[in-house]
Parts: sequence; C-alpha cells; structure tokens
Amino acid sequence: MSLSHEQQTELTRIAVKAGQILHQHGAESRLVEQTTQRIGIALGAQSIELSVSSDAIVITSLFEGHCVTTTRRCYDSGINMQMVCDVLRICIMLEKQLLDASQVKERLNRLKPYKYNRWLVVVMIGFSCASFSHFFGGDWPVYFTTFFASAGAMILRQELAHRHHNPFVNFALAAFLATTIASIGVMLEIGDNPQIAMAASVLLLVPGFPLINAVSDMLKGHISTGIARWVFATLLTTSVAIGIVGSMTLTGVSGWLH
Amino acid sequence: MELLRLFIIDALFASVPAVGFAMVFNVPKKMLIYCAIGGAFAHSLRFLLMNFGLHIEWATLMASSSMGFIGLYWSRKRLIPRPVFTVASVIPMIPGSFAFTTVIGLVELNTAGYTIEVMQIVTENGLKTLFILGALSFGLALPSILIYRGRPIV
Repeated sequence: MSLSHEQQTELTRIAVKAGQILHQHGAESRLVEQTTQRIGIALGAQSIELSVSSDAIVITSLFEGHCVTTTRRCYDSGINMQMVCDVLRICIMLEKQLLDASQVKERLNRLKPYKYNRWLVVVMIGFSCASFSHFFGGDWPVYFTTFFASAGAMILRQELAHRHHNPFVNFALAAFLATTIASIGVMLEIGDNPQIAMAASVLLLVPGFPLINAVSDMLKGHISTGIARWVFATLLTTSVAIGIVGSMTLTGVSGWLH
Repeated sequence: MELLRLFIIDALFASVPAVGFAMVFNVPKKMLIYCAIGGAFAHSLRFLLMNFGLHIEWATLMASSSMGFIGLYWSRKRLIPRPVFTVASVIPMIPGSFAFTTVIGLVELNTAGYTIEVMQIVTENGLKTLFILGALSFGLALPSILIYRGRPIV
C-alpha cells in the first residue's frame, strides 16, 4: 500500500477529527489515544504519534519517512457518551473494512450530539438526588423537599449552560439555589431531619465524571491531563461549596459541619 | 430477612441516580438499562459488604472492581467503550457529600478562624473523599490494568 502526500494529509485530518470529538465529549485520554491510532493505522499510516493535553491534541502520522503533523484545540462541549460510542463504532467498522476513508470522514462530520429531553432530565435528576436523601436516612417529606430543590437547581444549571455561562459561576449559582430551596424545608420543619435535604440536594453538582477520568488518566500514565482534570473538578467543588456557604450565610440555616 | 429487604430497597434506590446521571452524560437509550442494573448491583454490593463490617473504602474497591469486570463483559458483548456504563453505575458511590463537607470546612476555617473541631472534620472528610475516589477509579480501571494492559478492549 502506498500513500501520496495528499492522502497522508487527509488520513491525518480524519484521525485528528475522531480524536477531537472523543476529547471534547469527555473520553479518557487513553481511549482518545488508542482510537486515534487505530483509525490512522487502519487508514494506512505506519504509525500515529499523539500528544494529548488537557485542551488540545497534537498528532503526527508517519509513512515511509514522511511526517504530517496537525494540532486541534478541543473545547469542552459537555460529556456525551453517545458521541464516544459512535466514534468507536466508526473505528471498528473501519478496521473491519466496511468503510473507506471518504465514508469515515463523511460519517464523522455528520455526527450530531444527541441530547435527552431537558424536562425528563430535570425530573430524573430530582429523583436521583431524592434517592440520595434516602441513603442519608431521610424520610418521605425530606425526599420531596430534596426533589424540588435539586430539580430547581437542575433547571437553572441547564439554563445557564445553554447560555454558555462559565461552569464555575453556573455551579455556584445552582448550589446557591438548591441550598436555599432546601433550607426553606428546614425553616418550616418539613420531615424528621430536614438538614438531610440540604446535603442531598446539591449532589447533582458533584463533578463525578471529571474526577473518575482524572484518576484513571493518572493511573494509565497520562499524568498531566489527569492533573488538569483533577484541578478542574476541585475548582468546581470549591465553587459549589461557596454557593452553599453563601446561601447558608444569607438564610442563617446551617445544614453542614454540625 | 430484614437484611434482604434493606438490600433490595438499597438496590432499587441506587438504580435511580445511576440512570439519572447516565442521562446527564447522554448515554445512549439502549444502554440505560445496563446503567440501572450496574448502579443497583454496585451500590447494594457495597451496602452488603459494609453491613458485614468492611470499611467503606474496601467495600467501594470491591464493588467498583466487580463493576469493572461486569462492564468488561458488557463492553465486549455490545462493542461499546466501558466508561459508558461503568461511570454512571458508580455515580451513586461517589463521595460527593464528603467532598463538599471538606471544602465547606475549609471556607469555615477561613471565615470563623481555626478550631480543632472544624480542622478534624476537614481532615477526616478530605481523606475519606480521596481514598473512596481512588478506590472507585482504581477498581474500574482494574480490568484494563491487569488483563488488557495497553491493548484496546473493544
């Protein structure tokens, strides 16, 4: 198999596109690296060298002494596992030679992130945090206080994310709202131990995916991306805590540390 | 009998957040059922182990590593990358409350001044957060660290 310079450039672009989509939608670094390399090699490169950092990828394809290098910025477009599944499916189909280079390119360009209906997500997140309140030992009245607090916070979070607000501002405001709604429950003494609702209703703001990705990146040798993700998750946690403290200072209701 | 009842209730309640957060991560519709089963399995296993007197970190490690191996099986079967089900399944076990308590304690240390009590809360909760989180991620990564070692799973 031989590649012209144009073909090698094209191959590199296709591979970097796949890597960029994976990186933007929250895949861990190892998956980004492996999938990009597999796509590049399946398209005919001898090797693909890849450098993944927290917000960009640099890729070089090698073919008989010729190198083509390209860089892509990866802006965070939110965690979307459906996109990750689709890219991996394209990669597997390419390896089984069901697709050629132009079809892969067309399919990658056609991928659209699927989003669940936002009201369905609001209701499900409400029930999720309400279930957490059950784990903390809350009774049914607390369950419903938590439901309303976290559903309200989720609506605010989606609304702010939709308007491209900074995630730290978004999380702090959502935490503020959730704690404020839950502290109404404490003031009116709804249920046996209404403080539980304050703790449970902010759990929708835990950056679980970045934290797990951070540790697994570091375990698998991508220390620098792991540290970047860890810092990002820690900052998100801090802004949530500041939102909670702000609300507790304002309402005078204390639900944490005591 | 009472334990079995609590076990089933725990599993049912754990499946709700697994699906809820899976929807936030936009897991494909067909995979949501796996997230529900995984979430119920992992959290109720941890509940059971903790009931037998195991520490929360070790119970979490065992629950998440079994989840990692189940995820391996599903992932090979359905040709879907593993994080799609495994991360949503362990979301109910994420130490979110510990993490927030730690940072709120830190804020309190700054505003109200240093006290041993608050410092104790910060240290204990912070260490719990770190170790539970480490156990979770390590458990999930176990199949690819032990068996696949650098080869792609699907």
